[in-house]
Amino acid sequence: MTATLVDQPQAPVAPATPRRGSGGRAVARVVVGVLLAGYAVVSLYPFLWMVSAALKTREEIIGNTGLIPRSPTLATLVDTWDRLNFFGYFLNSVGVTFFTTLGVVVVYSAAAYAFAVIDFPGRTALYRLFLVLLFVPAAVTLLPIVLLENHLGILGGHFGLILPFVNGTAPLAILLLTNAFDAVPDELRDAARVDGAGEFRIFATIYVPLARPALVTIALLTAIPTWNEYLLTRVSLNDASAYTLPIALQALRSEQTIQYNTLMAGALIVVIPIIILFLSAQRYFVNGLVGAVKG
Amino acid sequence: MTAASSEAVAGAVSPLGRAGRGPHFRRREKAWGYAFVAPALLLFAVMGVYTIAYGFTLSFARWNGFSPRWIWVGLENYIDLLGGSPVYGPPVRAAALNTLWVMIAVPLLTVAVSFPLAVILNSVTRLRTVLRSVYFIPYVTNGIAIYFAWQYIYEPNGAINGVLGALGLGSLQQPQGFLGNPATALPALIVVMVWTAVPVAMLLYLAGLQAIDPALLEAAKIDGAGWWRTNRSVVWPLLTGTTAIVVLLNLRDALQGFQVFLIATNGGPGDATNVLGLETYRLAFLSELAPTLGLASALGWMLFLVALVIALVNQRMLRRLR
Repeated sequence: MTATLVDQPQAPVAPATPRRGSGGRAVARVVVGVLLAGYAVVSLYPFLWMVSAALKTREEIIGNTGLIPRSPTLATLVDTWDRLNFFGYFLNSVGVTFFTTLGVVVVYSAAAYAFAVIDFPGRTALYRLFLVLLFVPAAVTLLPIVLLENHLGILGGHFGLILPFVNGTAPLAILLLTNAFDAVPDELRDAARVDGAGEFRIFATIYVPLARPALVTIALLTAIPTWNEYLLTRVSLNDASAYTLPIALQALRSEQTIQYNTLMAGALIVVIPIIILFLSAQRYFVNGLVGAVKG
Repeated sequence: MTAASSEAVAGAVSPLGRAGRGPHFRRREKAWGYAFVAPALLLFAVMGVYTIAYGFTLSFARWNGFSPRWIWVGLENYIDLLGGSPVYGPPVRAAALNTLWVMIAVPLLTVAVSFPLAVILNSVTRLRTVLRSVYFIPYVTNGIAIYFAWQYIYEPNGAINGVLGALGLGSLQQPQGFLGNPATALPALIVVMVWTAVPVAMLLYLAGLQAIDPALLEAAKIDGAGWWRTNRSVVWPLLTGTTAIVVLLNLRDALQGFQVFLIATNGGPGDATNVLGLETYRLAFLSELAPTLGLASALGWMLFLVALVIALVNQRMLRRLR
């Protein structure tokens, strides 16, 4: 993040001819600008069309295939939000996402602390076990989860979503957080011990604050997929009042013919909150990911 | 940087190498170690062990989900899937072929887009933070909502056909829409997958770029290497570890992921976009009363095995490179 910029494009290829060099530099700068702006458009492209369709009326979505709505209206958005009780689904999504994220941060920061700094028999084997789970396909555990939860009587509720979501994030969370805790100098722990601090205090007052970027990172890497989760939610929820936003959106789609203005209004309602969450935490996020990967 | 990360991703012990206190673990420390991992283990025991054991056992049985008993069939499910059954073999083979295309195209295109993007982004100072956030939006919105938006722009009178018309490339337009034509549906979904994979790959490359010693680049410059030479002969080899992680993560997603296929095309038109992950899901949840749950499990475990082998090969190759 600091001064380690790789500013090759500015490098003059032939220093002997300064005029051509500076001309080349200007050309390079334009090319760089065009490429960066181009990919920004590519990144936002589906999102732009989502906004465009959501602002169109039922008549306009058929008649006007252009990006810019002729008479933009918020009526479709308001109507979709009200008529389909999106506020209820929104609260469901917030609840499931919040408790899943909380669970992941609490459970796996503790586990990662043990893997990174405490000596105990079986440590390496357990750590490897959790990493291997990264390769178990979702499709193979989906059905057993449904059957198990049916036995336990938690199928169909939000708790039945949160537990497998937390467990499913284990490999990634342990990987990132173990690396982050490992980067904390040993001396801090030794010094705190001399002062008489117990293991839990060392964890809570030294390691957790120092690993905050990594914790924010794993919180986001949990919250984003959980917010958008569709597969397990789809096969386990029956009662419409428990639906999360993606399932409510799917239900919108199943209705008769596709009304793209309504559908895109619903889609917009699904993505806006998570985009806001990401933007408000992205500063920590990027640094945390970089730090965690550096190990 | 890349060394540690790739090791860690591939399941090595790098962050654990701190032992050094000999074989005699201190008892209190031991107890604390177990106490800290206990919640994670407990959850894994409830949600993980049962589901994995159940799924694995089921892969040796025939069951439709309703009948009271399983019929043990040994390895028959695996054999059927590998071509032994005239009913289940052909669709699996077709899905495997589609999956193979995805596994080749997605990692390759993701690296081809994200590496240059990261290099260019790293060379500018103005707007870098803003652009990085913008480039990350595809990952943040990755889910059913954005798949619907892609469906919308792939429609017969959607945005992509519109752009092609405006550019005078009307011959490339798809009158049935890009997802409606069996020839273009798979490439169209590969584009969506690459689009969602680029953000994380780009961030990993950015992290790698910032860890490169500026002196090395300075030396290349003094030796007269231009922008292209420096990046090809100095930067790219230095980031081999990052490339390995990006390829591994995308191979796994290409092999096992199927959400976009389920939502955007449901494998169609015909079976043009059916992939192995989706086939697993179909066998498990969409085959009504047919006794295909064991087959679904067996297929899932084969996908696990392939992913694991890929990860191990990846790790081995990295080690040899070092």
